[in-house]
Amino acid sequence: MGLIDNKLTAQPKGDAPTARPLTKKSAALNWLPLAPFFLFALLFLFLPSVSIFVRSFEAPDGGFTFDNIIALFTVRDFINAYKTSLTISVVTALGGAVFGFLLAHAVVLGGLPKGLRTFMTTFSGVASYFAGVALAFSFFATMGIAGVVTRWIESLSGVDIHQQGFTIYTITGLSIVYMYFQFPLMVLIMAPALDGLRREWNEACANLGGTSWHYWRYIAFPILLPSLLGTAILLFGNAFGAYATAYAFSGSFINLVPILIGAQMQGDVLFNPGLGNALALGMIFIMGICMLGYISLQRKAARWLR
Amino acid sequence: MSSSNSNKMSRRDFLKLAGTTAGAMAYLTACGGGGGGGGAAGPDLTSGNTIPLDDLIAAAKKEGQLTTIALPHDWANYGEIIETFKTKYGLTVNELNPDAGSADELAAIEANKDSKGPQAPDVIDVGVGHTKNAMAKGLLGKYKVSTWDSIEMKDPDGYWWAEYYGALAFEVSKPAIENTPQDWEDLLKPEYKGKVAMAGDVLKSNQSVMTVYAAGLSRSGGDKTKAAEMGLQFWKEVNDAGNFIPVIADQGKIAQGETPLVIEWDYLALANRDALGGNPEIEIVVPKTGVIAGPYAGGISAYAPHPYAARLWWEFVMSDEGQLLYLKGYAHPIRFNDMAKRGVIPADLAAKLPPAESYANATFLTVDELQEATTYITENWRKVVYGE
Repeated sequence: MGLIDNKLTAQPKGDAPTARPLTKKSAALNWLPLAPFFLFALLFLFLPSVSIFVRSFEAPDGGFTFDNIIALFTVRDFINAYKTSLTISVVTALGGAVFGFLLAHAVVLGGLPKGLRTFMTTFSGVASYFAGVALAFSFFATMGIAGVVTRWIESLSGVDIHQQGFTIYTITGLSIVYMYFQFPLMVLIMAPALDGLRREWNEACANLGGTSWHYWRYIAFPILLPSLLGTAILLFGNAFGAYATAYAFSGSFINLVPILIGAQMQGDVLFNPGLGNALALGMIFIMGICMLGYISLQRKAARWLR
Repeated sequence: MSSSNSNKMSRRDFLKLAGTTAGAMAYLTACGGGGGGGGAAGPDLTSGNTIPLDDLIAAAKKEGQLTTIALPHDWANYGEIIETFKTKYGLTVNELNPDAGSADELAAIEANKDSKGPQAPDVIDVGVGHTKNAMAKGLLGKYKVSTWDSIEMKDPDGYWWAEYYGALAFEVSKPAIENTPQDWEDLLKPEYKGKVAMAGDVLKSNQSVMTVYAAGLSRSGGDKTKAAEMGLQFWKEVNDAGNFIPVIADQGKIAQGETPLVIEWDYLALANRDALGGNPEIEIVVPKTGVIAGPYAGGISAYAPHPYAARLWWEFVMSDEGQLLYLKGYAHPIRFNDMAKRGVIPADLAAKLPPAESYANATFLTVDELQEATTYITENWRKVVYGE
């Protein structure tokens, strides 16, 4: 915005009368680049949300009903699904945040060879979008019952880990799969933030007699906190809404909300779109609460900025 | 169309439901809306009685054409069936949307009630569960083909009849599984630890609901009222034993070895076996007990523009010749037992299938039985099997 502003007002320097209409026009021009965004937000965020809300009250025969909303709080499978979805999202968001941060820190500030950083960011860029069927299949192919790693361990030690009770088809297994795209995303977002920490701040702290602990506790951490929080919430949403990966991994055998929605919307066994929409509404509600929590935390965390 | 039928089901969700519906259906004037181009002098269409083949051929030839819908050529060998029909009777066949689902087929009849144009289907082939809806809306005409008596599942008045079905089978990848299981209870053996998978989701696919039901039917000794409950109990035990792997099996996972023992409709399993071409070697076994059939139903549109060609089509499809063409595509013809008894199934065709005895006591469910079982199984699956 600022760039365009300067360019347009700077052009007709010294000719005030003709400059006027141009600045007026520039106000509209400033908004123009945002038009596609607003259009997209309207079409793919706002309108679908409204539709989800409205259709949550739709009975299978098309009439109006509160049954779907009531079901969210009374059907045990649904309550359990929300619990599982929340657990897996919180765990992988925290795990991703912690490990991703440590990794980003090591790569950016750890004094490692420069090439490693390029390698890590490239890898993270690819891995953070590696999801869905491909990701699920690569886990089967490595850790699954006939996986390469499974067979390798067997050939080395003679032990078939799956016969010993190991399995990847659990909530823990799925969490590990999610981590594969969670922490590269953290690296990707945290690396530039860590770059923003100036060497001088650390030196200033040291000059004033501060230790490394003081530096991190009073300087670096407060500066990074807003980005940390923002990324953590992003990771949470990333895991909370993941469908393709979970479905490709274990069908509906792990009880997650997106999986249940899928079963209501497109199965040939259960078919109640109203209920599917109500389940989605529940997710939107939870994300809404998270966003509100995030905004208030963010305000506190960023107070020093103002 | 109610929303429960409008979901986008592909033609491949074979076997939706099963049923013999008596029920109060609107009595149709099954006259095909005046008989289209057949002329006034054709044989009677209202009674549903068998028309002598020569009269039927003559009347159909006068119409000259047949309009079909939702018959993919690679599905149940429909490509060859249609070709053979064309050359045999010299009729042209106008094929509408081959990839349509059952609900789409009924919608096409309804939308073209007043049209005799090329978009109005003469004959349909739907999941048996859809027949209830079709009859209630008066979309079907009556006809009893000459082989009517040996059709094992049909509407008593001739509004629909099953043409072919699949049975649930064990699809076993040979290098990974040494001893092929022969019955449901075998799946509990320790040697199948971490090896047993379904080919779909219990909450999403009818195939998996039937997998639960069939195991229960085996346990209850054929008692349908206890099958759903006992089936859940059975799968709880398979899960507790660590034998059940919660992965949706498909051809890739079978080939790779992740899901070496899969329960699947036989025709899908047989097609997998052919596609994998011996790598790995696949053995297909229909369990000794708890054999569940999933049938498809044929019918004639009450508004068919070519009512005689439609009836000729079914005479052909339901004849030994037509039924064997289904078998060539691994769909089990509904008159299989009759044909097996008379020994008209060619040996080379039979050799590619599980033995005929396996299918002798296949169980067919009515629409109501199936709906009841589905509700019970989907509602209690997690509670019973996972103890959630």
